[in-house]
Order: sequence, then C-alpha cells, then structure tokens
Amino acid sequence: MSAGQRVVSDLLIQKVSQKEESAMLFSGIPFLFYFLPAVVLVYSAVASRHGNLVLLISSLIFYAWGEPVYVLLMLGMVITGYIFGLLIERSSGHPKLSRLYMVISVIISLAVLGYFKYADFFIANFNAATGLSLPLLRIALPIGISFYTFQIISYTADVYRGNVSAQKSFVDFAAYVTFFPQLIAGPVVRYSDIEKQLTGREQTAEKILTGIRRFIIGLAKKILIANQLGELCGIFRASGEKSILFFWLYAAACVLNIYFDFSGYSDMAIGLGRIFGFEFPENFNYPYTSGSITEFWRRWHISLGSWFRDYVYIPLGGNRVGKLRHIFNIAVVWMLTGLWHGASWIFVIWGLYFAVLLIFEKYFMLKILNKSKVLNHIYVLFFITVSFVLFDSADLSMAASYIGGMFGAGGYPAVSDEALYYLRSYGVTILIGIIGSTPLIKRAGIWLSRKLGSAVYIIEPVLLCALLLICSAYLADGSYNPFLYFRF
Amino acid sequence: MKNWDKNRLAVNVIAIFFFLLTLACWFLPKKAFSDSERRELAKLPEISPSNIADGGFMTGFETYSADHFPFRDDMRTLKALFNRYIFRRADSSGIYITDGYAVKTVYPLDPDSVNYAAKRFRYVYDRYLENSGCNVYFAVIPDNGYYLAEKNGYLTLDYGELVKLLKEKTAGFALHIDLTSSLDETCYYRTDTHWRQEKLRDAAYTLLTRMGNKAPERGYKTNTLDYPFRGVYCGQSALPLKPDTLCYLTWEGMEDCTVINGETGKAMPFYDMEKAAGKDPYMMFLGGSLSLLTIENPHAAENKHLIIFRDSFGSSIAPLLTESYGKVTLADIRYLNPEYLGGFVDFENADVLFLYSTLILNESSAIK
Repeated sequence: MSAGQRVVSDLLIQKVSQKEESAMLFSGIPFLFYFLPAVVLVYSAVASRHGNLVLLISSLIFYAWGEPVYVLLMLGMVITGYIFGLLIERSSGHPKLSRLYMVISVIISLAVLGYFKYADFFIANFNAATGLSLPLLRIALPIGISFYTFQIISYTADVYRGNVSAQKSFVDFAAYVTFFPQLIAGPVVRYSDIEKQLTGREQTAEKILTGIRRFIIGLAKKILIANQLGELCGIFRASGEKSILFFWLYAAACVLNIYFDFSGYSDMAIGLGRIFGFEFPENFNYPYTSGSITEFWRRWHISLGSWFRDYVYIPLGGNRVGKLRHIFNIAVVWMLTGLWHGASWIFVIWGLYFAVLLIFEKYFMLKILNKSKVLNHIYVLFFITVSFVLFDSADLSMAASYIGGMFGAGGYPAVSDEALYYLRSYGVTILIGIIGSTPLIKRAGIWLSRKLGSAVYIIEPVLLCALLLICSAYLADGSYNPFLYFRF
Repeated sequence: MKNWDKNRLAVNVIAIFFFLLTLACWFLPKKAFSDSERRELAKLPEISPSNIADGGFMTGFETYSADHFPFRDDMRTLKALFNRYIFRRADSSGIYITDGYAVKTVYPLDPDSVNYAAKRFRYVYDRYLENSGCNVYFAVIPDNGYYLAEKNGYLTLDYGELVKLLKEKTAGFALHIDLTSSLDETCYYRTDTHWRQEKLRDAAYTLLTRMGNKAPERGYKTNTLDYPFRGVYCGQSALPLKPDTLCYLTWEGMEDCTVINGETGKAMPFYDMEKAAGKDPYMMFLGGSLSLLTIENPHAAENKHLIIFRDSFGSSIAPLLTESYGKVTLADIRYLNPEYLGGFVDFENADVLFLYSTLILNESSAIK
C-alpha cells in the first residue's frame, strides 16, 4: 500500500471512530428510551394530520444528533432532489430537457458523494501515481451519505422513467429521504416502494405488533450476538499469540458479526418502519444458506444489489449484450459496489473478487453447483468467509496475512492457549449465531406459536419484553455500541 | 377474542412495559456515585450551542444515560448472569470465577509497561540510592491468577518473563526476592484484588530474611471485622459473589508504634476502623492510598530503616515488616513524584524494597 493509501486508510478509521461515537444508534439508550418514546407519543397524537411532518422533524433531530452541521448538507440534497423531481416531471413533454434535468440531478448527487467520500482517496492515488504531494482535504464523512444520495438518485431516475410521479409535497418528500429508520444504514428504500404509503398508510395493531417483534429481534441480534462477536474480532486483532485455530475463530466471528450487525440493524429499520405504518423491502434472506454466490447476492443487502442492478447494470445493457460486454458490465457494477462500501482499494478488490466469482458461476459453475447441496454450501461459505476477512482488514497486507494465516502461512502453530480459551468463551455465541443465520429459529417459532394457539398473544409479548430487558441490561453495562455499516 | 383484540392486547402489554422503563429513565432520581464500581457517575453534559455543535453533548449523553439507567447494578448483574449461564462466557468484564475465587484476567504481558516501571526504579536508584549505602531489593507480588489461571484453563501473563525483564533492567542495583513459594491462592480474598493480611506471615518471613534480617518471631492476634467484606470484584464482575471476611493482625507492643501520615504530618492508626466500615474496607490498612507515611517501632530487633516503594498491597504487609526495622517508610510513586522524594525521605544506609504487584507492573503508566 502506498503512503497516500495508508493515509486515506488511517483517515477512514479515524472518521469511522469519530462518527461511531456521536451518531444516535438504534441500539443505544438515547434512541431507545428518550428519542423513540417521544416520537411515538407525538406521532400517535397527530398522525392523521401531521404524521409526515412529525417524522420529518424527528428524523432531522435524529440525524443532527450525529451530524449537527451536516444536517444542513442533507437538507440541501433533499431540496435539490425535490426541485429536480418537479422539473423533470414538468418537462416530461420535452425529453431532452427532462433528461438534462435528470443528468444534472444525478451529477449533483454523485459530486457531493464523491467529494465527501472519495476526494481524499482520489488525491492520495493521484499523488501515488504522479509523485506529487497534493494535500489531502481531510473532510469528515457525513453519516449515511451513501444511502440518502442513492435514494435521491433513484427517485429522480424513476421520475424520469415515468415509474413514479414527482412528489409535490416537500414535507412528504423530505420525510421519505430523511426517515430515520432507514436514513443512516438502509435498507435503500426506493420512492416507488413507499410512494403510496406516504399519504395512505394504515396502522393496525397487527402491523405494530409485527413491527415491535421485528425491532426487538433485530436489537437482540445486534446486541447479544453481533456486539459480542465484534469483541472477539477485536481481541483477535490485538492478540500477539495467533494460531491457525485463532484465525478461523476470527473468520467465523467476522462472518457472523457482519451478518448479525447488518441484518439486525435492517430488522430494526424494517420494524420501526412498520410501527409507523410503512412496509420497507426486505434486505436479508438468510444469505448463508445460499447455494451459489449468485444466490448469495440475492439474499444479502438485497436493496443495494437491486439498486445497482436497476440503475447501473441494466442501463449498461445487463446481460442482453455480447459476452465481453456482459463481463465488463459485471466488473463495473461490482467495482462500484465495492467502492460504495468504502474509499479504499480493499473494497474495490473485494467487489472485484465477487465479480470474478459471479462471472465464473455464470459461465461455468452454476450447473455444477446445482448438483450437490452440501458441496455448494461449503463452496459458498468458504468464499464468503475469505471475502469478509478481506472486507474487515485495514489494508491489503493485513488481509493477505490473515487469509494466509487461515491456511497455515506465517509459521503459526495450529492451536494456542489463547485460541482455545476464546473458543471456549465464545463457542456458544458462535453456535447460536450459526443456527440463527438459518431459518431454523423462525420455523421453530412458527411451529410453537401454532401449538400455543391464543396463548401466544400473552406469551410472545412477555418474551419480547424479557428480550428487551436483557438487551437493555447489556446497554446499561456499556453504552458504546457502534454499528458497522453507517460509515457508508 | 378477536384477532385484532389479541394483537392490541399484545401491543399494549409491550407498550406498558416499554413506557414504564422509559419513565424510569426520565424521572428516577440520579445517583452521583456508584458503590459497586467505586467511581463517580457521569453528570448531565452541558447544554450549550457550542457543546451541541461539536457533538460533545451527544457523546456525553450516551455515557450519562448508560450510567444512570434505572436499576443499573441489577441490570449489570442480569447481563453478567446471562453471559455466564446462557452464553457460557468464561469471564465477565475481564473477571472470572474459579475455585470460588474471582480473578481478574491479567493478560498478556506488556513488556513496555514492565520496562517503564523498571526505568522509574532505576531513576530512584540513580538519584537517591547509589551512593547512600543502601541495599536494594525488588519483589513482585503475583496476582491470584498466578495460582489459579493455568490449572483451571484461564489466561494469565507470563510471570517468569515479567520477573526476567525486571531482573535484566535492575541488574546491578537490585536483588530479586521471589515470593511465589510463600503464597498460594488462599492468601487472597475471594472477591478482591488484594491479599489477606492474616495469611502473609510466610511472605513477610521471606522478605525479612532475604533482606538479611533474622527470622521473625513475633506473635499475632487475628481480629475479624463483624461485617462482610465485599471486595472490588463484586462490583466489577456484577456477579452475585459470596462476600469475604476481613481480618487484621495485632501484636503486643503495637500501641507503642507511631504511624505518621506524610501528607498531613499527623499521627494515624495502623488500622483505620472508619475506613473499615466504608466503601472500600481494604483501605483500613495504613489509611489506604497515601503517598508517604512512616512507621516507627521502638521494639524493633534493630534500629534499621526500611523504605518500601509500593502499591496498595504494601499497606497490609508493611506492619509485619516493622518487627525487624525501627523505621519503615512507605512511598507510593504513583502519587508522589520521585523528583521530590529527597525532600521527604532520608535514604542513608537504608534497606530499600520495590514491592509491586503484577497488576501495577503490567499497567505501570500511573507510576510517575
């Protein structure tokens, strides 16, 4: 890694740490027991007339908690998206003008995203390539910028395509973009998903109950599983006594940590949406049960994958082109997907890693993979594990060292006292994580609820309260509790 | 009951629970101090435009809201129990329970920390001891993990490596006194970091004889506090631990000894019974964390001077060392900068003992 890249990598780590410390997180006491109850109370009082206004104001407060200055940037982006949406629709009779407005809107969104997220990455690489020493801008990355710019881009693109009507109400549009459940960490909710819900959503007890259930389960996934395994990852990185077993323990913890952290947060977002009457799209569908990498990316971060498919892959021609162009399209989409995750070569390589696998599957492997359910799962888990170790590494040399260590490179012993101790200490958490990443628990829950009949309406809320209490106990013991994905 | 009624009932049950907890967060009175953690709890951060603009209020509120969560000690216990019995975690907040003892994980060895401590010892030697006719020693007090960890499958620092590092860095001026054979796990409290004074006679014997004194012969009476001693690990681990009993030793002629608090210049008792009834009863031994104090014993075998550079472990063993020394000076260079020692301590022809626990040596940044 060049000196410039190292600086950018350090900057990213510093930026992430600062943001994690100040953002309001769903899995934090200020959100759970101060912000959320206040919002629910006020919303319940005025939902019929001013529901979206309440959601907008509370979302701005939510965002300003972590970004007291950049909330203005987000508002500026919302205003831009709103105005261009109207301009695009009003000029629909003049296709060139309409297209121009759409292009300008997309350029503005990408320019803002590019400036705040990628400027130093490009400067550092420019310096490395040319030998110059242009100073880095050292701009703080606004939380959630990757999510809300993508939402605005998809909105203006959909208005241009005629898939949706431009939103006339600024409050409704702003409420959509800034809505706090999905603002800083997704899912990437498209305007078309909730267009009708902005003005015509229904809140029922059943919906609220399913929303609460989803939220509490997501909270438990994040606090009880993801955070604990995140600790183990930290212990591994700090350890001076690595062994092959410890590398694999770390890899397992890393894979489960990322899944439970991100899917837990998505569950909380979806659950919160439902409490307020919104149906958000699913973002995870048991990705670790996939039989191919192709299938994995239909089950993992679904909203992001479908966004890139609809707004990059298909406009590039998708698979309705020659073979070479098709491969090029896949490579571009996955390079951009990697880059979306972070301004670092690690993420670009991570994205291209999947491009290679997907191309390989599309042209050679898929038929073979379909023949054996066991081997195909082992194949998927193996490549996903390696990918997330890469994803979790600060730089390429660390990634190479960790992945090499998993396979015996580096002269590490097979086993160490430290690895055995942490295997013993985290073994149950890992086992729960493995089972929890399959549909088994959900199916068991459905079976049990059928057996319990009406009693489930008493037992379930008691269990959910107990789970909320346990999660609160963990939070009371130490509130610092960052979420991985909002650095994007 | 119709389905929508059942759904409404379920939502109401959860909502009532949730809002009760919320009201408790908002309105229950806030404590200033945590007895279990022995620290002040966070205050509400300043609400000002600048503090909000730079995010200081938000960061402070995170800590404040966690510190003042309703029934926080019970919540911590709930978490510790859940971790221990459901997740089967080996430790709770870095503390594990084995053979009935709470043990803090001291791992891994931090060579930089040990080297720093040794550097400060050498500074004291170079500045005050080199030409003073002193005999200099050092002894490392193993934490109870030394005796409990390995045999029970827990991690502990490499004690041998720690001592080896110290020996290398103090070579030429300090002699090592090995205490490991003079102690075992029963010499430590079950719920606290420290060792039990009534079990230190072997350790005192080793120190005194290795420093060239004749074998101690003094008889002691063991006194036990009436109330239970909940050591520091009770609060830190948040696990429901059975409390200890705290004992202290007295001997004939003790009342003729004089203990002077170097900070105030006033006389004080060996054992402060007010502190024995306070939040941290171990502080009863020689008043707890004092930077400088002296003990004079007119009945000592010889009118020699012993200077102990120590941490809190030194407070309970120092009384036993007075048998051989007419004067014992205790200096804690975590609180007293060695720069200023010369103004308070006469080093001439003294025996000097650097007596520190592995806990301090492995995290020695507090040593000035």
